[in-house]
Amino acid sequence: MAPRQSAKLRLQLLERMLLIRRFEELNIEIWPRHSYMGRQHLYIGHEAIAASVGLATRRSDVVNTTHRNHGYVLARGVDPGKALAEVLGREGGTNRGRGGPWHISDKAHGLLTTSAQLGGGLALGVGAAFGLKGRRSKAASVVHFGDGTMPEGLVYESFNMASVLSLPVLFVCENNAIPERGGLLAVKRWDDVPRALSIHCEPPVDGNDAGAVYALVERSLRRIRRTGRPVFIQPNVKAWPGSHKAVPEYTTGVTDLAMAWEPRRNAGPHAAWNRTDPILRMARTILAAKQATREDLTAMDARIGRRLQRALAYAEASPFPKPRSAFQGVFA
Amino acid sequence: MPKKTYAAAFVDGINLAMRRDKELHLIGTGFGGRFEGVLTKNHAARIFDPPTSEGAMAALGTGAALTGMPTMVHFGTSAFMLEAWNQICHEAAVSHYMTAGDIDVPVTFHGFHGVRVGGAPQHSTSPQAMAANMPGLEVVLPSTPYDAKGLIMSALKSRNPTVFLNHTKLMGIEGEVPARAYEIPFGKADIKRRGRDVTIVATSWMVQVSLQAAEQLAARGVSAEVVDPRTAVPLDVKGILRSVRKTGRLVCVDETPEMCSIASEVAASVAQHGFAALKAPIERVCRAPSPTPFSPPLEQFTVPSAKTIAAAALKTLPGRGRGAGRRA
Repeated sequence: MAPRQSAKLRLQLLERMLLIRRFEELNIEIWPRHSYMGRQHLYIGHEAIAASVGLATRRSDVVNTTHRNHGYVLARGVDPGKALAEVLGREGGTNRGRGGPWHISDKAHGLLTTSAQLGGGLALGVGAAFGLKGRRSKAASVVHFGDGTMPEGLVYESFNMASVLSLPVLFVCENNAIPERGGLLAVKRWDDVPRALSIHCEPPVDGNDAGAVYALVERSLRRIRRTGRPVFIQPNVKAWPGSHKAVPEYTTGVTDLAMAWEPRRNAGPHAAWNRTDPILRMARTILAAKQATREDLTAMDARIGRRLQRALAYAEASPFPKPRSAFQGVFA
Repeated sequence: MPKKTYAAAFVDGINLAMRRDKELHLIGTGFGGRFEGVLTKNHAARIFDPPTSEGAMAALGTGAALTGMPTMVHFGTSAFMLEAWNQICHEAAVSHYMTAGDIDVPVTFHGFHGVRVGGAPQHSTSPQAMAANMPGLEVVLPSTPYDAKGLIMSALKSRNPTVFLNHTKLMGIEGEVPARAYEIPFGKADIKRRGRDVTIVATSWMVQVSLQAAEQLAARGVSAEVVDPRTAVPLDVKGILRSVRKTGRLVCVDETPEMCSIASEVAASVAQHGFAALKAPIERVCRAPSPTPFSPPLEQFTVPSAKTIAAAALKTLPGRGRGAGRRA
């Protein structure tokens, strides 16, 4: 169980998680009229992890994400309008339309690049830590990856490198138990290998419990800054049933925040998923601790909704890049 | 003759090859969509769905091939082949030579290549020119359902490591495909459309785009011949030269970036061996020298289109379509 946390922290966690959820829902909503967006890898169900990292990291820290990158981008404070414009391939996007939905990045927010190759971001994050250390920065490098990445050889090479070079890396293994292509890996626990390579490993944490994830991330970052050595953590999340749809759809419906205080609203085939939904769970925690009222939470949701409507207006009004500009920016 | 989609013809070829050779094993699935059922139905014991470990997958197939067991390794998007590039280029490609012919390496590496719409910089790779630059690898680039079946049956019989690349956009196209087993020999170009004014050499999806360009050219009174080498290694230079000697003009089309592309190899070979036959400078139409951007207008701009191919063909023809275009 997470320690008693302040109203401020819990509300911040909830607000970031809800922003991510509503952003992803907006992606599903607008897909039919922008179907060129192609395959969307949504972050629904993982929100507690990105929100925790977003709040626990410093501005100088760097974050390498997975192909489900929208969550981290928003959690690190990137403007949702610019992020959405990038999803739509517009000139006003974070990457001026070059990267698209899988490659959103923003150096100003410590998001250097987003690799959509399994293991690619993890390895680059170790390199980023090498750079930070070499430049005598006190910053840390956080790398997010899924359990599906674990069979990639590059992962082990990078664990070893981070360990022998004593690099300030936080390895965040987001275990949603939907490994790519069978996920055959002959270990009993995901942390068997990093542990064998002398990386400090924390026991798995319930990734749907935002308070617990935040506490673990915060503690791990402190440890990294103190020791200068890597730490491996493993938040276990429940896979969102829509995670593997080629065309995004409201598999579990639009999130109804009122389910947090009216459990009877939660029925149907996805009732179990809703019960463990990290967002509804945090809302329940806040209400039970009387740290906010239902009206406060509804108002927060409405505020996020208005912010995203402005983001959508910006993104859709942003022009497509000029075709000839395709040649620009190949070299520095 | 029955009509089949490219994906169905490709799977059909693999199915017949697995029936022909009881030792052939398949590492990786997911290349034939709903048509794949026939493989798991007939050969389940020889199909292995691996974890996402490209280097080890390529080595698994190559190592098995070293013992004499033929394999096919499927990587999904061919961009992921680059994670196994060392095993493909420095293990599979060199083993026969390095052992002075003592060892054969009957492995086929398969992946989807090309700009597939929305693939962005990391999922739009066309590695055929890179593979062709590694001596020891055969490089196969089908463009029709008929060729896909005949070429995969040859690849799975070949005693050499073969890089077999299908373009994502080809998988749904239909064509006539015989039900019987047949092989298409490597290194034999196929004339996909006969013509007399200009030769267009293209591979893979670009053959289909070049055929559209040939239609546009026909409307302007220009008769274009579309030649498909079908394999980049071995390359049928003689077959290409035969066409160029007839037309005197050459446009080389390629979805790989121009630098050291298959198109550049064709252009260089013709310039070297058929210079006297040329009536105009050779034109190349290739992918732009930039990573593939996500944004649709940028993406479209970076790849050859029927329009840019037709324009290049007209450039080789003084008088631009012999006035026929002006009448049309």
